[in-house]
Amino acid sequence: MTAAVEVTGLVKEFGGLRAVDGVSLSVPPGERRVLIGPNGAGKTTLFHCVTGTLAPTAGRVALFGGDVTRLPEHRRTALGMGRTFQISNVIADLTCRENLLLAAAGTDARKWVLHRRITAFEDLARTAQDNLARIGLEHRADEAVRRLSYGERRQLELALALTSRPRVLFLDEPCAGLSPSERARISRMIAGLPRDLTVLMIEHDMDVALGLADRVTVLHRGRVILEGSPGEVQTHPEVREVYFGHV
Amino acid sequence: MTPARLAGAAALAVAAAVLPEVAGPFWMGLVTQMLVFGVLALSVDLLLGHAGLFSICHGSFFAVAAYTTALLEVRYAVATAVAAPAGLLAGTLLGLVFGLAVRTRGVYFILITIAFGYVVWGVAHRWSSFTGGDNGVTNVPFPAVAGVRIDSHTEYYYLVLVAVALVALGYGRVIRSPFGLALRGIKGSESRMRTLGYDSNRHLYAAFVLSAALASLAGVLYVYYNRFVNPVAASFPVSVEAALMAIIGGTGTILGPFIGSVIILGLRTWVSSFFELYAAIMGLVFIVAVLWVPEGLVGLAARVRGRGAPAGPGGAAG
Repeated sequence: MTAAVEVTGLVKEFGGLRAVDGVSLSVPPGERRVLIGPNGAGKTTLFHCVTGTLAPTAGRVALFGGDVTRLPEHRRTALGMGRTFQISNVIADLTCRENLLLAAAGTDARKWVLHRRITAFEDLARTAQDNLARIGLEHRADEAVRRLSYGERRQLELALALTSRPRVLFLDEPCAGLSPSERARISRMIAGLPRDLTVLMIEHDMDVALGLADRVTVLHRGRVILEGSPGEVQTHPEVREVYFGHV
Repeated sequence: MTPARLAGAAALAVAAAVLPEVAGPFWMGLVTQMLVFGVLALSVDLLLGHAGLFSICHGSFFAVAAYTTALLEVRYAVATAVAAPAGLLAGTLLGLVFGLAVRTRGVYFILITIAFGYVVWGVAHRWSSFTGGDNGVTNVPFPAVAGVRIDSHTEYYYLVLVAVALVALGYGRVIRSPFGLALRGIKGSESRMRTLGYDSNRHLYAAFVLSAALASLAGVLYVYYNRFVNPVAASFPVSVEAALMAIIGGTGTILGPFIGSVIILGLRTWVSSFFELYAAIMGLVFIVAVLWVPEGLVGLAARVRGRGAPAGPGGAAG
């Protein structure tokens, strides 16, 4: 079966620093893959290269068998990639509804329409409304995003990515900085995503990560040092050493 | 539209309609100019207030449109029905070229638009065999279309008034459309918009060309009012003032650029009547505005009413 995401020999250098040093990984459709690794392991840089935010120095990225290595970000989104950012990246001056309307129109030719109100497109409005309901923010639909709490912004971030109906979803530490209850809420949302959606997720919290993952890839200093089931990873001596140092 | 806003719009319309009855030719001329430069400021604000791009070359589209129309009318005796659209087209075509500036951002965008502006000014100034040099093109007639001839400044004022009303309606539609919302999205977070599937450069390019077309309309309206055009129309101060009108009035709104135009042209007319160094006074006004009222007068009014800064067209705009 064709992999949903196939990364081959990916390298990203910043000056003399090799942030990603020859990473290859293959994620089959519908799998939930969690990337773990200590700070500076190259997880976010790898994400940036796969989703097109950064151009890789070398290597290849394929989405459902099609080479997307040289495609700009918006084309990859049109082909089914969706992502969230480590630091919330929502449009603070617009309302929650407007953010989601933009997400709904982003992969649709109607984003070029000049002469009609965006709210006049009922299907877009409904998509926005449904995704607002998904994160329980209907009551704040018309408030500016800048008035939302940090946790609410994280949820909106996830809703934005889902609204563009991705086939592969990249989540960069969706639970970072959240309270335990918010963390649980996001985890439940992720766990409740349709099983045909492929999910790649960076997560520091081992409990969250291992609870959601089908398979885990461990990165260290820009390389994959291990790939396996959550159970295998948890008990692997090399992972314990990377995470906890020599005991 | 809320009842209060509807009443305000109606009052404004009535006042504009009866103005020629109470105002003399001098005031009529000034108000016409305020409307025309309001359109120019509005064109700059489509980029500044919605897309987040600070362009300082809109005097170019304004001037190229004005020159094209003037040259066709005066030198080639072309009818208004052709000369006016040709002016619009010429300015818009220049927008298609200068729009390549959207490949840059921030200070580079500002610098490249300044450079573009100087190219146009230099051509108008130096290619005197074609453009008339410093004298420009004079004796532009009033417009006449299909046998209907405008032959007074009052009649022309009404024409401009109708044009401004149509522009405001059309502009209001555009900024509420998916395209208009996308521009504000790009202003807010370009990286987010790209990952939502937007080709931000193409959106900004389209906005730039649209904005150039609107500036060209202002140029055509200007040349029929002014009856002549010279290189001053293409000069750096025209482009800067258009942006400052939007800033002083309130960016991201429709009313703001017009309020800014009224304030700046009104102030200039008043101050220059008794003080030679009026440019210095204008400079001080700009500094005060940018330092203490960065959201502009429309934004300030919204803040005073306790509604917070305008969130764009949904706020204090239309």
